[in-house]
Amino acid sequence: MKHALPLGLLAGAVSLGSALGFVHSEVRAASKRLAEPARKDPALQAAVADHTEAPYCTPQFKAVLQRVINACGLGGQESRRGCQPADVKTLASISDDDFNALFTPLAQRGAILLFDDASEKLDEGAKKLLAERWEDRRGARYFFVVARASRTGAADMNRALSHKRANSVEIFLQDHYKSQDPEIDKKLGMLWLGKEFAQLSKGYCTDWTHSRPGKPCNDEAINRSAFISWVDCRL
Amino acid sequence: MNPNRTRLPGVLGSVASALGVFFSAFSTHDYALHLDRQLHSTHCSFVPGLSDATAGANACTAAMYSPYSALLRERFWGGIPISLFALGAYAFFLAASVYLLTAGNAASRRAWQGFGLAALTPLVASGVMFFLSLTRLGAFCKLCVGLYVASLLLAVAGLSALRKAGGSPVAADATLIDPALAAPQVPAGYPQPAYAVPPQPSTLEDLGLIPTGSPLVIPALLAALGAFALGPALIYAAALPDYTPYLTGCGKLPEPNDKNHALVKVTGTRPKEQALLLVDPLCPTCKNLHERLVSEDIFEKLDAQVAIFPLDNACNWMLDRPLHPGACELAKAFLCGEPAGKARLVLDWSYANQEELAALGKAGKDQLRAKIRGRFPELDSCIDAKETKARLDKVLHFAVDNKIQISTPQLFLGSSYNRVCDEDTDLGLRYTLGIMAPHLEQP
Repeated sequence: MKHALPLGLLAGAVSLGSALGFVHSEVRAASKRLAEPARKDPALQAAVADHTEAPYCTPQFKAVLQRVINACGLGGQESRRGCQPADVKTLASISDDDFNALFTPLAQRGAILLFDDASEKLDEGAKKLLAERWEDRRGARYFFVVARASRTGAADMNRALSHKRANSVEIFLQDHYKSQDPEIDKKLGMLWLGKEFAQLSKGYCTDWTHSRPGKPCNDEAINRSAFISWVDCRL
Repeated sequence: MNPNRTRLPGVLGSVASALGVFFSAFSTHDYALHLDRQLHSTHCSFVPGLSDATAGANACTAAMYSPYSALLRERFWGGIPISLFALGAYAFFLAASVYLLTAGNAASRRAWQGFGLAALTPLVASGVMFFLSLTRLGAFCKLCVGLYVASLLLAVAGLSALRKAGGSPVAADATLIDPALAAPQVPAGYPQPAYAVPPQPSTLEDLGLIPTGSPLVIPALLAALGAFALGPALIYAAALPDYTPYLTGCGKLPEPNDKNHALVKVTGTRPKEQALLLVDPLCPTCKNLHERLVSEDIFEKLDAQVAIFPLDNACNWMLDRPLHPGACELAKAFLCGEPAGKARLVLDWSYANQEELAALGKAGKDQLRAKIRGRFPELDSCIDAKETKARLDKVLHFAVDNKIQISTPQLFLGSSYNRVCDEDTDLGLRYTLGIMAPHLEQP
């Protein structure tokens, strides 16, 4: 057939032209989608890694937590470490019972370290319990220490004693964990309460894990203490 | 000559070429869709136009993401898909087949030979790809199988053309036709004689003879095949957009220092670039990325830290349900493997047996533990140790401190730990690494 060659050339031009046109249009379409991507559904965006947010993190709890953190040195670069009883009273702006009730959900997570009368020394049971609780961090951001002193004795002495008990906890943690965790300072929130605010009732002897199980526990003993717990709240 | 035999190469060549164009066009379409850096379904069917594209993992997606689906991946984002060469080549064979079909015996012997030789080349390419699919991918994508069939049919057409060129009497030109064989001419106005001789062949075609043709025809045809095969690839490369502005927009680690010594060092044999990998041992995408890094000889060039990040709420407080149940156990086994230098081994084993381990994880923690114990008995006590749990907590806190998205895998590169965008961890990985970590291009 004498038209075979022109026909073949035409077929070649058409097939190659179609292939090139197809490829060009496919790449161009992709380029356009690349430049103007479809808006992603925000609900489908991956969440960002964050600390635990436990159900007990109520707005009231967080408000107290935030005030304590801001005022007691954790939230900034202040050299001050911890809050005094007067601070807490002002910051919390809540009654003793309401303040203590905030921490009730931490009964399983936290513990109470008991001290001897007029002493800030951690005994072996307290050290063991403190280490256990510290090492069970999970997703928590802050570790709270709320030290107390009983009602016996002068207010100034009790305040000082409470402060020392809080410091004992901090020193133990620094001594044992600073090498593994250089940022203990940024995690530790301390309050030391004298006898004038938020004393614990005897019920805490049974409802909470404390460091002297099987030993007598009463209103006085439970307040010669330091409450410790990781707090699973985001702020 | 039997006219059917004359037409066979052209008919078969046309059918094979049409099939080849069809399958390579769908393959190209699927590949080009991904140039927008998004995830798309792929056509994994013998009748791709008639069935819907398939989302998620399938043999065609696996083939597409494999290092064998494209060339020059380090130079172009996604590389140049090999389907483009097939598309151009089959376009050539379609035109050539149409020519042979219409030309018949008018086509020269050299043309038949050139077509025959050229038509064997797609079969060679298919043979190579078949071998790779069999030995490296372990699966056959249906579009690829369609191309294998097309190349086989084309090879049959080619062999038929070669047989025709070699087996027929050949005349150099029309003067060789014996004039005596020509039919006697009856003068105008006279009736045809009653004994009329049958019409005699007056052309080479009528005689079943094929002109030899110029010896340049064969190289010219092969050159045309090369030009056709390269054409779509050149157009593709020229039309590709500039991806560099998109590569570095996924942030970096604000706190890359592993202050708590929680991450695991997994240094390759030829470390050239710092990297941090956030992975879950039961995450299929992590497995894919890992395999890609290994198969493209990148993993051995990484001085990597691995932040093991199980998407399992048994240990990861950031999830309200387990995406990969059992991942916590494997993550702890990975951490436990580090002191004995077995962390990489645990990770490789987790990926290699991922399906089975994921199923065991769903069935219950004990069965998965038994499996881990069976493979790594020396790690068993460590997995339950409180120190291991505490270390895993620290890894997760590393993610919190760096505000990392709860998503795996994630790859961070270089001393600044720039994040490789998720969109660039598959087809665009080589190109992206070339931009973000040029040291990795060194051998």
